[in-house]
Amino acid sequence: MSPPDTAASGVGASLPRLDAREKVTGRAQYIADMVRPNMLHAAIHASPAAHALITGYDTAEASAVPGVACVLTGDDFPDGRMGAFIKDEPAIAKGKVRYPGEPVAVVAAEDEETARRAAALIRVDYEDLPVAATPDDAMAPDAPVIHEDLPDYFKVFPAICGGNVASETELSEGDVDAAWAECDVIVEGEFETPAQAHLSIEPVGALAEVDADGRVTLWSANQSVFRVQANVCEALQLPMSKLRCLTPKVGAGFGNKMEPHVQPLVVQLALKTGRPVRLILNRTEDFETVRARHPFKIRCKTGAKRDGTLVARELSAILDCGAYGDDSPGVLGYSLLMSRGPYRIPHCRTSGKLVYTNRMRFGAFRGFGNPQVTFATESQIDEIAGRLGMDPLDLRVKNMMRPGDRWFGGGEVASNGLAECIEKASAASGWRQGRARAAPSGKRRALGVAACAHISGLLATGAIVRLLEDGSVVLNTGAVDIGQGSDTVLTQMCASALRVPADRVAIASPDTDGSPYNWGTTASRVTYTTGRSVVAAAGHVAEEIKRHAAEIFECAVGDLELRDGGRVGIKGVPDKELSYFEVSARAHWAAGGPIVGADTWVYNQPSVDPKRAIARGLPFPQIGVYSFGCMIAAVEIDETTGKADAVEVWSAMDVGRAINPGSVEGQIEGGFVQGMGFALTEEMVFDGPRLVNPSMMDYKAPTSLDAPFDIHSIIVEAAEPDGPFGAKGIGEIGLVPAPAAIGNAVAAATGARLRRLPLTPERVLNGLLESDSED
Amino acid sequence: MEFIRPDSIDAAVAALQAENAACLAGGATLVAMMNADLVAPERLVSLRDVAALRTAMRQPDGSVVIGAMRRHRETAEETDLRDGQRVLSDAAGQIANPPVRNMGTIGGSCAFADPAADYPPALAAADARIALVGAEGRRTLPADAFFVDWYETALEPGELIESVILPPAPAGTAGSYTKLARVAGDFAIASVALVLGMEGDACSHLAVAVGACGPAPVRRRDVETELLGGGLGDSEIRRLTDALADGLDPVDDVRASADYRRRVAPRLVRQAIAEAKQCLSGTQ
Repeated sequence: MSPPDTAASGVGASLPRLDAREKVTGRAQYIADMVRPNMLHAAIHASPAAHALITGYDTAEASAVPGVACVLTGDDFPDGRMGAFIKDEPAIAKGKVRYPGEPVAVVAAEDEETARRAAALIRVDYEDLPVAATPDDAMAPDAPVIHEDLPDYFKVFPAICGGNVASETELSEGDVDAAWAECDVIVEGEFETPAQAHLSIEPVGALAEVDADGRVTLWSANQSVFRVQANVCEALQLPMSKLRCLTPKVGAGFGNKMEPHVQPLVVQLALKTGRPVRLILNRTEDFETVRARHPFKIRCKTGAKRDGTLVARELSAILDCGAYGDDSPGVLGYSLLMSRGPYRIPHCRTSGKLVYTNRMRFGAFRGFGNPQVTFATESQIDEIAGRLGMDPLDLRVKNMMRPGDRWFGGGEVASNGLAECIEKASAASGWRQGRARAAPSGKRRALGVAACAHISGLLATGAIVRLLEDGSVVLNTGAVDIGQGSDTVLTQMCASALRVPADRVAIASPDTDGSPYNWGTTASRVTYTTGRSVVAAAGHVAEEIKRHAAEIFECAVGDLELRDGGRVGIKGVPDKELSYFEVSARAHWAAGGPIVGADTWVYNQPSVDPKRAIARGLPFPQIGVYSFGCMIAAVEIDETTGKADAVEVWSAMDVGRAINPGSVEGQIEGGFVQGMGFALTEEMVFDGPRLVNPSMMDYKAPTSLDAPFDIHSIIVEAAEPDGPFGAKGIGEIGLVPAPAAIGNAVAAATGARLRRLPLTPERVLNGLLESDSED
Repeated sequence: MEFIRPDSIDAAVAALQAENAACLAGGATLVAMMNADLVAPERLVSLRDVAALRTAMRQPDGSVVIGAMRRHRETAEETDLRDGQRVLSDAAGQIANPPVRNMGTIGGSCAFADPAADYPPALAAADARIALVGAEGRRTLPADAFFVDWYETALEPGELIESVILPPAPAGTAGSYTKLARVAGDFAIASVALVLGMEGDACSHLAVAVGACGPAPVRRRDVETELLGGGLGDSEIRRLTDALADGLDPVDDVRASADYRRRVAPRLVRQAIAEAKQCLSGTQ
C-alpha cells in the first residue's frame, strides 16, 4: 500500500477525526471506563445548607458500613486553597459551607452503591448563617459575608475587592459623558441572562492511584492536565513533583473541566487508603456541584448620530460569582473587553462587579461572558437601526471595525475578516430578499443578525516533535483533546510542516511528566497557540534534517528543501534526495543524536494601551488575537403559543485559516446549537440558593430534533500573520452571536424587544400580544 | 428486592398481593425513579411475559382494546384505531423520543398518571375506559374517573391495568393531539386532545380534553353537549374555551408558569379545532 498523499491529510484537508473509529465503536476509554486493580469507589456527602458553620461531624455509622474503607471530612484535608484568580477554595468544605451541594465529606468503599449509602449516613452539625442567594442580597448593607478572609486571600492580579464583591473591573476609552450630547438617538435598557449548564455528555470524574513511594497518578475528565496538577497541589499542599496527571478521552468540556472538580477528593482518598480511588458524579451531582455559566444583569446605553454613526456606549454588568471565585474574575474582565463589540465607538465606559453568593460556583463556559454582553449590545444595535429607520445590516457595516483598527482598550488587531463575514452571511441568507419571505400559516417569520468577535490566545503552551528511527514523527503538546478535534488538527499541522502524511505522525496523550506545559484547552486557543508551537518545533526538526542532509550531500543547508512524503533534497535536483529514514537512522546510530524539536511560548501582546484606555482591576494584561463573525438567523414564531424556532441559520466565521474545514464546520454548527439553547430554552432555575432543575428532564437543551436542518457554516479566512498557517480559534465564537441574532429576529417578527433570556414561549407570546395591542 | 416474572394475568395479580409490590411494565419511568432513589419496591412483578397484555384488538362494534403492555410505538402505528380514535395514536407518536416510545407502555403511563403525560387527555377525549384486574376481580372505569389527582389514580393496591378500551368513534370524526413543549421529546407545557365530527356546518361530535393544566385532564362535557348540532364558530368556541378555562388548575413549574398555561390552553384549543375543521372539510 502506498502511503497516503501528504496534501490529502495535511492542512486544509477535512481529515476524519483520528479517534473517530474508537469512539464510534465504543472502544474509547473515558474516565468512567477506567478500572485499576483493587480500586475503591468514592461518593460525596454534600451540604444541604447554603451557608452554615460546620460545628461537628459524626462519621461512625458511615464508617461501620461493611465495605467502607475510608471516610474523610474537612478535618482530614490540608489547609491549602485553590482558584485560578483568587485562592479562595478548599478541596472540601472546611469550617463552613457556602452553597448547597458543596462537598462536606467523602467516602471510599468497595463499590459505588456502598459508598453512596455510607455517604448518606454521615451526620454533620451545622449552625445556619444568613443566606445571600443573589448579588442583590449579597450587596445589601446587612449582607452576610461569604468569605471573611477575602482581603487576605492570595490573588494573581490586582483585584479590587471587598465585602462580597470578589472583583470589580472598569475599562474606558474616550469621554462618554460629553459624548451623549453628540448623539441624536440613545437607546438604554436592562438585560438579563440566566445560568446555563455546560451539559457535557460526560459528567465529571477522576481516578487517583498511589505508588509505593507515595507518588500519585491522577486521571480525570479535564481540559488541562497542568491545571489539574496545579489545583490539586495547591489544595492539598503537595509538591508538583509528587503528582502526575494524565487524561483519558474526555467527553466535552465547554469550560466545565478546565478548573478543579473532584480531583482533590480522590487524591486525598488515595493517599489515605493507599488504594486506587475513583469518583464519578452522576448527572444531578454534575449539575449541582461543578459550575455553570454566570447569570448577568447588564445595563447598557448606546448612542448614535442621525446618519447612524455610533458615538458612545456605557455598559455595566453584575455577575453572580457563586460561592467561589474560580474563573469568574476573568469572565468579568473579558466580558467588558468584548462589550464595545466589533465596532468603531469612540467613547465607551464599561464596568462590572463580580459578587459572591451562596449558589454553586459559576465559571468558564464557551464564550466566557461574551454571549451575555453581545446579547445586550447587539440588541441595541438593532434598536438604534429601528429608531433611525436603517437596515440593521447597513448600520453594522457603517460602523464595523476596519482592518488596522484597534480593539477596545487599544490592543492591536492583526487580521480582521468582519466585512467579509457580514457580506457572505448577507448574500447567502438573501438578507435583502429574505426579510420579506412569507411565513407559513399561523407563524411569523423574520431574520435577525448579530456580529461579534472573540479571541484565541492566552498564556503558555509548547510542543515537542521527535523524529523516530524510521523517519515517522511523534508530537507531544500536553493539550487535551476534549472532543473538539485538536489532536487531529495539531497532527495535520505537524504533518504539513514536515511534509509527511498525517498517518506518519503519532500524537502523545498529555502527561505532566512528559509533555511540555499547556495552560489548557480553553479560550479557543489550542489551534492558535499550540499550533504555533507545533509549527515552530517541527521547524527545528526540519532544520536538523537539513543539517544532516547537508553533511551527507556536502552542500549548504540553504540549498535543501523538504519534499512531500518525508524526503529532503537539493533544490532543483529532483533525484538528489534522502528519506527521513536515512536521516534519522544516521542521527540515531552514527552522528548527531536523535532529532528533537521543541518550542514553548507565552502569549505576550498587551490587550490595553494605557495611552488610549483606562483599565482598573483587569485580570489579564495579554489576551489574544481576534476572530470575527456574523450570524443571520431565520426564526419562526408560532402565533398561537409564542414558541420561537430557529429554522435556518447562516453563520460566517473568520478563522484565519481552516486547518480542517470539516472540524471548523462542526464547531460553527455546535456553537450555534448551544447558543440557540441559551437563547430559547436553557435556564438553571434557582429557588433562593438552590438549583431546582438539576436533571435532563427538567433542564432542557435542544437536541438534533430542535436544531434547524440547515445551519450554513461559512468559513472566512483572514489570515492571522503570526498564526500557524494563518489560523485563529473557532471553539467559542460560533456560539457568541446566537442569542442576539435570535433575539433580533424575534423582535423583528413580533415588534417586541425582549431583554431577558431565555426567550420562552411565554415571554414571546406576551410580547407579541402587547405589541399587537399597541399597533 | 424480589423479582417475579409471571406469564399470566392471574399469576401477576397473585404476585402483586404483597406489601410494597410494584408492576414493572416498560420501565421507562419506574426504573428511572428507582435509580434516583425515589421509590424502592420490595417486589417487582414484571409483566413482560404476560402475552395477554401485549395485544391490541378491534372488536366487531368498532371499539379497540389495547393491552396494558402495548408500547407507545405500537400504539402510534396502530391501524385498528380509526376516525376519532386516532387521537390516541397521534398522542402516542408525540411521547418523548423513539427509545422511550420503544420502551414505555400505555398501562405504565396510565398507572403513573403524570398530568403532563400525553395519554391522559387523549384517553379522556376518546371516552376511553380503563380495565383493571385485582384479587377481587375485574372492573372498568372511565378515564375521567381513573385519573384522580396529581400522580394519583383509582388503582387499588394489588390491582393492575389490564387494558385500555376505546369505544367506537363515529365514522368521519377526526382525532388529533396538539402538544406544546419546550423542546422535542419533553413533557407538555399544555396539550389538547380533540375528537371532532362535522356534518356540513353543524357539529356532530365534540370532545376536548386539556392536558398538563391541572391534576387531571379537563373536559367540559356539558358545554360540548350544548354545542352539538350547531355551527362551531368563534362565539361557540369561545363558550367552550371559557368553560374549560374555569376548570384549569395549573401550577408554576420549570416548564412554564400557571399564568402562561391559562393563557395558552384556550389558544391551543382554538387552533386544534380550526385545524380539525380544515382537515375534515378537506376529506369530505
